[in-house]
Amino acid sequence: MPPKDEIKDNRLTVSFSPHLHKDESVSRIMWMVVLSLVPAGIAGVAIFGLNSLWVILLGIISALVTEAALQVATKRKVSISDGSAFLTGLLLAYNLPPDVPFWLPIAGSVFAIAIGKQIFGGLGQNIFNPALVGRAFLMACWPKLMTTFSGPFDAITQATPLAALKEGKLIEHISYLDLFLGKHGGCIGEVSILALLLGALFLFIRGYISWHIPFTFIFTTGLITFIFGGTQPLGAGAGFGGDWLFHILSGGLILGAFFMATDYVTSPLTRKGQIIFGIGCGALTAVIRIWGGYPEGVSYAILMMNAATPIIDRYTKTRVYGA
Amino acid sequence: MKKLLSEFTKGIVKENPTFVLMLGLCPTLAVSVTVINGIGMGIAATFVLLSANIIISLLKNIIPARVRIPCFIVVIATFVTIVEMAMKAYSPALNRALGIYVPLIVVNCIVLGRAEAFAQKASVGRAILDGLGMGLGFTLALILICAIREFLGAGTLMNYSLIKGFEPARVFGMPSGALLVIGLLVGLFNVLKNRKG
Amino acid sequence: MKEMARYAAVLGTICLVASASLAVVNSLTRDKIIAQAQAEEEASLKEVMPAADHFEAVKKDTETLYYRALDKDGSLIGICFKAEAKGYSSTVQTVAGMFKDGTINAIKVVSQNETPGLGTKVTEPSFTDQFKGKKGLEEVQAITGATISSRAVIDSVAKKAEELKGILNAP
Repeated sequence: MPPKDEIKDNRLTVSFSPHLHKDESVSRIMWMVVLSLVPAGIAGVAIFGLNSLWVILLGIISALVTEAALQVATKRKVSISDGSAFLTGLLLAYNLPPDVPFWLPIAGSVFAIAIGKQIFGGLGQNIFNPALVGRAFLMACWPKLMTTFSGPFDAITQATPLAALKEGKLIEHISYLDLFLGKHGGCIGEVSILALLLGALFLFIRGYISWHIPFTFIFTTGLITFIFGGTQPLGAGAGFGGDWLFHILSGGLILGAFFMATDYVTSPLTRKGQIIFGIGCGALTAVIRIWGGYPEGVSYAILMMNAATPIIDRYTKTRVYGA
Repeated sequence: MKKLLSEFTKGIVKENPTFVLMLGLCPTLAVSVTVINGIGMGIAATFVLLSANIIISLLKNIIPARVRIPCFIVVIATFVTIVEMAMKAYSPALNRALGIYVPLIVVNCIVLGRAEAFAQKASVGRAILDGLGMGLGFTLALILICAIREFLGAGTLMNYSLIKGFEPARVFGMPSGALLVIGLLVGLFNVLKNRKG
Repeated sequence: MKEMARYAAVLGTICLVASASLAVVNSLTRDKIIAQAQAEEEASLKEVMPAADHFEAVKKDTETLYYRALDKDGSLIGICFKAEAKGYSSTVQTVAGMFKDGTINAIKVVSQNETPGLGTKVTEPSFTDQFKGKKGLEEVQAITGATISSRAVIDSVAKKAEELKGILNAP
């Protein structure tokens, strides 16, 4: 391991992370985000049963163990109490179907922490949101397990509303209220919009997140799905009839927009940059959902915009006074 | 004697073409899905490397420096074509698995790299040792990558399944998995090297 | 100038020797390569139409349209054909055997490069066995998560079968 000051020369890091002076505050933010995610977890467990609680716990524990083990192995300070690994494990578990085998959250968390975070040098150095790196890895490895969802309140396999839409089946018995409350198949932490919004409201009030990313993200997805998401193609004279509310309320959009796209490390620093980032995420999500091969695109959209973050930062950097 | 031996052994670890010289990564990434592929590719590349090294070392005083690259390429391409024809005739299944990457040995930078950097200045004996060593290093590296990828990506080794109930991680059978495995192995090589040095 | 001539002479000689040696190797392996390709083709035809004794290629110009599957006495029992369509990430090639009455005997996916673990399932018996003994392919179920690859096989076989039925039934 090179000494600390050599890491600054690492050419991979195009932008500088926020100049955080107190470790105290990073850790505080992390735990606050964790706290704000608790209602969504409770809703998930209530809807899908106790198995999802095990998935969440396994995700968190293996994230913490991996972080500690790698920090010991590379002779760095063990910093698992800062809440970042805890949050990664939690978010990863929230992005899994409720009835996955026990080793899936473990594999995802280990990959998320080891490859998604520690290989880059740990907290603040990673380019991509670690939880989403873990999810993308699981998606690429075990696509079948990652796309088999059980329905709410029973263990019968059920397609998510978005997957059903992709396959051309219209789900008429699902109402906006069902979507809002989370009474449908989906990932553990993404289904209950109500619970997620409660948590997001808390973060807003305490000032831990700003409106720039989440609102532009959700608005753009809504707008594009409204214009192009109709059942008939634009040319047929039908455009502008997309069910935008359905698109906003289903899938991982709310979870992704409020809790993952807003990750301090992997999103732009300036307000202007954050707006560009949010619009990019929203557009990519809508493009994947409407024209892509997968029914859901939130996680890939955020990952792609994570990759664009250094460039966004470079072009929106506030001019240094006097330079 | 010891020096001669080191011409052979250097390709295996110290100057391993894949992990240290970082040459010939394109076929490595593409074909390293199963161990059988890796062995086949390794043998094919070793044959070309050895033959090209011998011929180029023999012709080193005849080939003018200014047209050496086209000369090398012609020599290498000839051996590659021979390998390809032999493979098509005697092992069509392997040929199909390796696909376009057999003819692409022509532009495998290990072969041209060794011709340029070593064989054109060395005696035939040393060129043979170098070719064999580099070929072996390439083959071993390929087999290592293949073994990891085949085991994780398909749950098998040499097409035998090992553990019952192991759900293979498909990503390792895909190009992205190849990049991951090679990246981690290069990292591991660097760690080991730094620890020694 | 003299130097240039020397360069040309050396390079030319090397090329000459190279092409001569390739010609030798080619003449040694050519027959073997053709035989291998034929054996392979024969084997896959045999697999989709085991009842046949031998096959006869029906050609239009140089392109093989389909194969007539003949029994020992040389009477026609069915045909075999190659169908291909664009899958998810590659062109999927399928060989199918069809009896005279239009029933599919078996199919075999001979070449594809689909997503490992999903699209590649079209080569597995759980998918290909569905084709056995079917006249229409509407009932064949696409593989969950690999709809595009499955459709490539189903649609290309169905289309080709339909075309060839016309030829078979023509007097």
